Amino acid sequence: MQGESAMQSQAKRIYALMWKELIQILRDWRTLLMILGLPILEMFLFAYAVNMTIDHIPTVVADLSMGERSQTFLDAMQTSEFFDLELYTSSEQQVIQAIESGKAVAGIVIPPDFEAQIDRGSAQVLIIFDGSDAYTVQSGYRAASAIAQTQSMVVVAQKLQRAGAAEFSPPVFTSTRILYNPNMDGMIFMLPGVIGILLQMLTMNLTAMSVVREQELGILEQILVTPARPFDLIVGKMVPNILISVLDLAIILVVGIYWFKVPFQGSFLLFALLSLLFIISGLSMGVLISTIAKTQKEAQQITSVVLMLSMLLTGMMYPRSTMPPAVSAVGGLIPVTYYLRIIRGIMTKGIGLTFMWQDVLVLVIYGLIVIVAAAKLFKKRLD
Amino acid sequence: MSLLRIWAVTQKGFIQLFRDRRTLAMMLALPIIQLLLFGYAIDMNVDHVPTIVADQSQDAESRAYIEAVAASGFFDIVGYVSSSEEVAQAIDRGDVIAGIFIPPDFAAHLKRGDAQVSFLVDGSDVITAQSAYAAADVIAQNYAGKLQLEKIKRMGAALQTQPIDARVRILYNPNMTNIWFTIPGMCAMILQTQSLVLTTTALVLEREAGTIEQLLVTPIRPVELMLGKIIPNLIITLVNMLSILGMGILVFGVPFQGSFQLFFWLSVIFSFSGLGLGLLVSSISETQKQAQQIIMAVMLVAIVLGGFMFPRTTMPDALKLIGDLFPLTHFIPIARGIITKGVGLDMLWEQVTALVVYVAVILLISVRSFKQGLE
Repeated sequence: MQGESAMQSQAKRIYALMWKELIQILRDWRTLLMILGLPILEMFLFAYAVNMTIDHIPTVVADLSMGERSQTFLDAMQTSEFFDLELYTSSEQQVIQAIESGKAVAGIVIPPDFEAQIDRGSAQVLIIFDGSDAYTVQSGYRAASAIAQTQSMVVVAQKLQRAGAAEFSPPVFTSTRILYNPNMDGMIFMLPGVIGILLQMLTMNLTAMSVVREQELGILEQILVTPARPFDLIVGKMVPNILISVLDLAIILVVGIYWFKVPFQGSFLLFALLSLLFIISGLSMGVLISTIAKTQKEAQQITSVVLMLSMLLTGMMYPRSTMPPAVSAVGGLIPVTYYLRIIRGIMTKGIGLTFMWQDVLVLVIYGLIVIVAAAKLFKKRLD
Repeated sequence: MSLLRIWAVTQKGFIQLFRDRRTLAMMLALPIIQLLLFGYAIDMNVDHVPTIVADQSQDAESRAYIEAVAASGFFDIVGYVSSSEEVAQAIDRGDVIAGIFIPPDFAAHLKRGDAQVSFLVDGSDVITAQSAYAAADVIAQNYAGKLQLEKIKRMGAALQTQPIDARVRILYNPNMTNIWFTIPGMCAMILQTQSLVLTTTALVLEREAGTIEQLLVTPIRPVELMLGKIIPNLIITLVNMLSILGMGILVFGVPFQGSFQLFFWLSVIFSFSGLGLGLLVSSISETQKQAQQIIMAVMLVAIVLGGFMFPRTTMPDALKLIGDLFPLTHFIPIARGIITKGVGLDMLWEQVTALVVYVAVILLISVRSFKQGLE
């Protein structure tokens, strides 16, 4: 030991602590498996289960007119694929009953004098929705009015033709182009979100839980009796956890890019560097939490509050543009908000630093503050 | 079975609960925070999307069109540029989410009936993109309809442009208030998560600390121990549910249409499923960390597939079946049925039967594995 410089012996101590941490992680293989498996589970769930555009809505029909035109209208509903006409009844009341019992989510009532009403130019079709199912109503509402409008156009066009008018075409064509994600593929949207949320959850949890556990069991004090200093301890803890987080990130990326064919448009190097920064700041956040929480239960509760806020307020799934300013500001305090914008920018849009330096700056400043604060508080707590 | 011994364990549970004030406060406050977030933060009806315009026609017709777009309330026009490249750049930078590009000679094309307008939408946010896509369509249709009406009038035809009108009526929630929809789902979710988490952590904690063995040295039997452990958790879970429901009704004005008694007792039955699952998780996990990971995975699957956050009708059949395995999936329609629709057992008996059968099966399995774990 005599020939060694202070630096060398410190490196040795950190190395030893890293080994200890790594052995602990590998020994608890069940937890490790869960950590590595959870993101894959989450991706498959989101990819295959989540579809917000609703079609094939189970629909009950009461056609009181039973005419040719009401049949045309119902055919249009059916061929739109938005409505599956499954049940036929004979009154409005029975339609409502079918919705009440949950057999159908939507209902169509066509009045008895539908044909005559059309000739007079004022036919009314009643469409009823189950309002306890908000998603279906939102999609169905739009589809129903669109179908009614097209049917109207058809009727008008027929009349005009009979009256001897020339061709009848819509004067304005709109073409909507969806940039970056032309088919509105949900996975292209979800992948960055899954990466952001999982990395945050994982990094915070890893350090918070393991530090608090060692505190609870008194292991931290035992280690500090050895020549190891708080700094060595924290670095020794960080490095293996950085490895796990990076491994997790790699798994998500590989599955996303190769299985779900999510394109990666931008610079991978930039993505890797900023992700590393995000991982380190997340781990530091975990250390910060460990200085506040006394038991694992408390640590778990704090992390789950942060997780909940992150899932709802950072734009992972729910649009941030519709939030009231105060709520949006709370979301602005969470680093995932910026990290998400950055990785969506890199992965989906393929843009570089020139377009998003503000978000990067915020992330860097936040990272530095958390890392310094964690180091200071952790040291203070142990000294 | 001795009520006295069960009561003793229950008391011990309560004492432990009240000693740890911070945790208790968190437990009671968390659902309320969650509710406030859902009530005030989440709104899937996107509007006022920041939009940039490149109008290369600059004539009266193109301006009228842009005005029609702005008047819809969906797109907020925040700036003007001169080329479609600049529109794309603004979206790249993230300054705006949508852009409108009108090529030159809009008025002339309009007369010929082949005017083109292109909308550009930021696709990296799919939810906003989907709404914008639909809105652009509707606005264009309305605008075209208006022009057509004028055309027809000029032709002198005495026609209605809208001979068929769809009158839409939304039952139970006529104004489509989001929170009315959220409250029943949240009650169901809280009942499930809280009962599961509380039971698991309480049992794993005792196992790690070795106090379960100490308890078993006393004359208490495993079933009594289990019941004693379950009761405090059940009460906290129900308090949580009631605080959400109460806030929903008092603060957010959510109407409670059905029978409260029926809802309460079905909630109690449903909570037992979470308590049972908790026993099961605690008997397969060795440490708190493991238990936490398992719970996280279970809850993730249950919440995604259960129909609380995402519509179940669009899921593939295989996933629907997996979803059916979770009791939460069966309780959500019950909660919505009673709270929002106001229907009773006569309409809900199928779901209620499914729920009761599941709870019974889960309890049976979990009691078995809990006993085995101890003996």
